[in-house]
Amino acid sequence: MKRIALLLVLLALVVSGCATTDVAVPDDKKGKDAGTKERNGKDDVIKIDRDKIREGALSEEQIRSQMASLFKDIHFGYNRYDVADDEKANLRKIAEWLLKNSNVSVLVEGHCDERGSSEYNLALGDQRAQSTKNYLVSLGVPASRLETISFGKEKQVCMEHTEECWLKNRRAHFVSSK
Amino acid sequence: MEITRLAATMCLLVVALLCLRENAAARVYIDINSPGLKRLPIAVVDFVGITEGTELADIIRSDLDFTGLFVFINKNAFIEDATAPFNPDNWRPLGIDAVVKGTAEAEADGSLSVVASVYDVVESSNILKKKYASRKDLIRPLAHKIADDIYEALTGQKSCFGSRIVFIGQEGDRKSIYLMDYDGQRVKKIVSKGDVTMKAHWSPDGKKLFYSSLRNGRWGIYELDFDTVSEEKLFSSGATDLAGDVTQDGSYLLFSSSGKGSPNIYRLHLGTKIVTRLTHSDYIEVSPSASPDGKSIVYVADKSTVPQLYIMSTDGMDSRRLTFEGSYNTSPEWSRSGDLIVYSGREGGRFQIYTIKPNGTELKQLTDTGNNEEPSFSPDGRLITFTSDRDGAKGVYVMTVNGDGQKRISPRNIRAFGPSWSH
Repeated sequence: MKRIALLLVLLALVVSGCATTDVAVPDDKKGKDAGTKERNGKDDVIKIDRDKIREGALSEEQIRSQMASLFKDIHFGYNRYDVADDEKANLRKIAEWLLKNSNVSVLVEGHCDERGSSEYNLALGDQRAQSTKNYLVSLGVPASRLETISFGKEKQVCMEHTEECWLKNRRAHFVSSK
Repeated sequence: MEITRLAATMCLLVVALLCLRENAAARVYIDINSPGLKRLPIAVVDFVGITEGTELADIIRSDLDFTGLFVFINKNAFIEDATAPFNPDNWRPLGIDAVVKGTAEAEADGSLSVVASVYDVVESSNILKKKYASRKDLIRPLAHKIADDIYEALTGQKSCFGSRIVFIGQEGDRKSIYLMDYDGQRVKKIVSKGDVTMKAHWSPDGKKLFYSSLRNGRWGIYELDFDTVSEEKLFSSGATDLAGDVTQDGSYLLFSSSGKGSPNIYRLHLGTKIVTRLTHSDYIEVSPSASPDGKSIVYVADKSTVPQLYIMSTDGMDSRRLTFEGSYNTSPEWSRSGDLIVYSGREGGRFQIYTIKPNGTELKQLTDTGNNEEPSFSPDGRLITFTSDRDGAKGVYVMTVNGDGQKRISPRNIRAFGPSWSH
């Protein structure tokens, strides 16, 4: 069990350290973008910087400031809940950090823009949070450290009725929940 | 023993005969189902005997006007004095077909005693004469009751004048459930717990509400009992749980929950609290509303990658797609007579209210100004309440099932949405 966890950590590090190699996440179905099915095996576990793994636990203050700079909102297309390709690098960085800081748990909030029914948006936000969580789990982050909640369109960060605002509001937002 | 049974049978027979006679004699002044419906000219005379007599008549007039089935003339044109007895000759020249008059008196204990009468001008007859007693501070419910009896005497149908509407009102960031009369009067806040509370759904007997609320970072489905004025948590999976409609027989609450991954439709037996899962797909499936015969459920699913309406049988089988027009159709509600489904759909970047027959025919757009969403039928199916932002901030509006007479009923000082009409 421990060995599997270590392997996942190593794999995640390899993957995140190599910008040209993407993790093979099957895009077979919109929204079910968990990527749990296959991994790209062509990278070997060679280029690992073992010191990185042995980094000591961070202080509360360090955790907070690192999370603030690293845990950027993940944005979604209109009425979509699959993790977009251009958000995956961001999520890989987050996964890498979470694997290093195993004492930190995260609440993933799913949010939507103001358009459409409150009920449907609550379901949509739920699926945005879940697909974000599933992507992190596919990168090795234990599911037990990732909780999800949907706020639908009930908690907007941007109040104008513009495309720009709508995009900002269609997000998965991370909150430390340990 | 035999004699008692005979007596009972005879009693029943007498009752049945009386009913028959009643039905045979009852004349329908307005056939509300007739397509070429002619509006009935009616005069509602200010009630005499108490200072609130004018207010009583105003509310009755407003109720009748709400239906779009009546025409009124200015009361300054009345020939007959309010205190004088009914004389058809005073009304024929005005083209009035029906006249409502009433007398009221304040009792020693502060209550009101009212007698209301409806007269047929053409036949020179008294169609209705009924006595009412009420607390003085409940003049609006009293007026609605009188208007309801007048409406029934003239149309043979029950009105929705005594019905109520709940909606979500927002002050600052906080969303609460409000209750008001169907005409937007007597607004009061009834549930203000929770960070976010979603649209509430009525039990058919009007005694309970069901709604989802976010409490301490967790969604749950709650039940509010008007009789005991108490709230109870019915269901919480830890994920997103959304209350849907209650079945017409009052036995099941339909809802959606993502407790097993993606949002699926479930039903909860309100007696036994047993939960049954009805759908099992990986798609979003939300907003269930049952047909009045209890055989079918209309709901929203994104199987086609965008939200559309589907109908399935109550056991979750035989799902078929209902809507094909538009790329975003949500918030369905089945009318209580079963003949129509109302929903909100996006058209040209804005949301509008539509009705469609359960067989997918006769799609009809009812609104075209601003965004119009979250429709709900009146108990008689003749009116629809909905949310609109046509005047800026969101408010609760009402229109007829044909889209006529659209008007705002919620107060201007509250951002109001998610209306739900009592059964």
